[in-house]
Amino acid sequence: MLRPIHRKVSLFLIALAVFYLYLSYQLQSFGTGPIGADTMPKVLGWLLILLSLLLFFTKDQETEEDKEKRRIPKQDVIKIGGVLLLTLGYIIFLEQAGFILVSFLFIYLCSNFLGYKKHLKNMLVAVLFPVILYSIFTMMLGINLPAGIIPL
Amino acid sequence: MGSLEGILSGVQLAFSFQGILFVFLGVMAGTLIGMMPGLGPISAIAIMIPLTYTMDPPVALVLMAGVYYGAVFGGSTSSILLNAPGISGTVATSFDGYPMAQRGEAGKALAIAAIASFFGGTVSVVLLMLFAPVLSSVAIVFGPPEYFALMVLGLTAISSLADGSTLKALISAVVGVMAVTIGIDSQTGTTRFTFGNPNLLEGIDFLVVALGLFALAEVCALIINRHQSSQNKGSIGSLKLTKKEVKEMGGPMGRQSLLGFVLGILPGAGATIASFIGYITEKKIARKPEEFGKGAVKGVAAPETANNAATSGAFVPLLSLGIPGSGTTAVLLGALLVMDIQPGPLLMTDQPELFWGVIVSMYIGNIFLLILNLPLIPYIAKILAIPRPMLISLVIMFSMIGVYSISFNTFDLYLLLLFGAVGYAMRLLSFPAAPFILAFILGGMMEESFRQAMTMSNNDISIFFTQPIALGMLIAGFLSFIVPILQGIRSKKKNTV
Repeated sequence: MLRPIHRKVSLFLIALAVFYLYLSYQLQSFGTGPIGADTMPKVLGWLLILLSLLLFFTKDQETEEDKEKRRIPKQDVIKIGGVLLLTLGYIIFLEQAGFILVSFLFIYLCSNFLGYKKHLKNMLVAVLFPVILYSIFTMMLGINLPAGIIPL
Repeated sequence: MGSLEGILSGVQLAFSFQGILFVFLGVMAGTLIGMMPGLGPISAIAIMIPLTYTMDPPVALVLMAGVYYGAVFGGSTSSILLNAPGISGTVATSFDGYPMAQRGEAGKALAIAAIASFFGGTVSVVLLMLFAPVLSSVAIVFGPPEYFALMVLGLTAISSLADGSTLKALISAVVGVMAVTIGIDSQTGTTRFTFGNPNLLEGIDFLVVALGLFALAEVCALIINRHQSSQNKGSIGSLKLTKKEVKEMGGPMGRQSLLGFVLGILPGAGATIASFIGYITEKKIARKPEEFGKGAVKGVAAPETANNAATSGAFVPLLSLGIPGSGTTAVLLGALLVMDIQPGPLLMTDQPELFWGVIVSMYIGNIFLLILNLPLIPYIAKILAIPRPMLISLVIMFSMIGVYSISFNTFDLYLLLLFGAVGYAMRLLSFPAAPFILAFILGGMMEESFRQAMTMSNNDISIFFTQPIALGMLIAGFLSFIVPILQGIRSKKKNTV
């Protein structure tokens, strides 16, 4: 019964809507009149349940191509996971280590991880892009990116 | 039209040193980003937004508009050379552009695309100039009920016209409005759905959503296709067209610039639909339809004219009503709101410099695009050789820093990752993302105008049914999604019987 993926998606959406509605019914409205802060959320929650139910009962319209899209080889999943980890590292260290250093490491490591093996070119791009961007942001736009441990 | 002075101030802005410089930078950046496989106008604009924070709003809008039509223009290059359209609006271009390139006539196809785009772009700017003020003067009588109805129509229209299932598009739109309810409700001061997290009090920034759903989701797809060669083989051949070929382009360019413009104005239609409809109509009326798909001149000219015409058409509702009709114009509106500009019927009279400056700058932008794309295209196309791994790293970094530079808060970066994951999941499950972003941008305004309308009528909901314009738009909006859904259910019943 849950074989076509859209049914699973539909149940997930209904769960999301129920959770959202649960929170909506707890909202306190201080407004005058019937249109409070909770009116639109309630409407949206019920609407999503209705639409998800419709989705549940529609025919499976997926083509082979659509299904093929979801068959991701294990190797690619590892690559996406790796990039995700690198990106998390980028976020965690951005403010302490500074924009230029973190961006340099990120571009170099991420490109390398994804299979770019020309180290010199990679290094050059990883240095130039962050330095140019940093200069544009701080000097031209007046937006101060974190300088971090590099004395600038 | 007592706005001669306004037009002049716009001309002044567009022809100022700053105006020309930024329209050039805009179309250049747009072309380069649009050319990248997968990165379309939405990503291009979202990436450029941080750069405009400190700019003069009119100049910033000139830049953004340039990025937008530059990206549509740039998308055609990768369609023709690689058969890898940068955006959905140029998919139709690859039908005949790529076969031409395989024949060794890539130069010719690029030249046709450049000329057709220029023609479509220019004609539709003229139409925009005539049309937007008229619509503005009509829209000036719009009150909250009409605006609410218009936004509902915009959302349902984009859902019924989006690629794939109407139902999925509507769900995408509803979840988009849900996402915008997070934060402090501006009218009542109630905190909604923040889970006690102070970072969520001001709501989620639209840039987080735009970059996540589009740029980062694309990155995931790029990682999977990272081995695909980006290099086009050999030279692109001569750019010269024969007299016969130029003559052949005339018909499609004339027809499709009008049709594309009209489709661009309609909520939800936009460049993708315009280019497909342009391609199909030209194929239907062609004397030799069998040539289409094998490298026909008309097959390149028609979608390229139409998608560029639609791009300018999309500015009509944005500038005159303040209501975007597509994902891309929604992101543009978001950028404007950041700069404290509220487009709408009053924009033309209140800020004529901005209104006319953008329009006049489009003429200049189209000329720049022609220059960029005709003689320089062989050199610009070299950017397609940028290795995928590097492209992926750079796009992630640009997205991160774009978001960071507005909030200076790493919490938003985690949110960005979350939206990237949501965007990729939506892509895998064939849920279109454009309705989500449009709903996200319109959601707040919708709630506000709904409340204003209800206040006007002393909380009587019949105000939406007694105002003829509002009622008409609501009915149109209702029909636009109920018909496709009913059709879907009926076809299911037939199958089970």
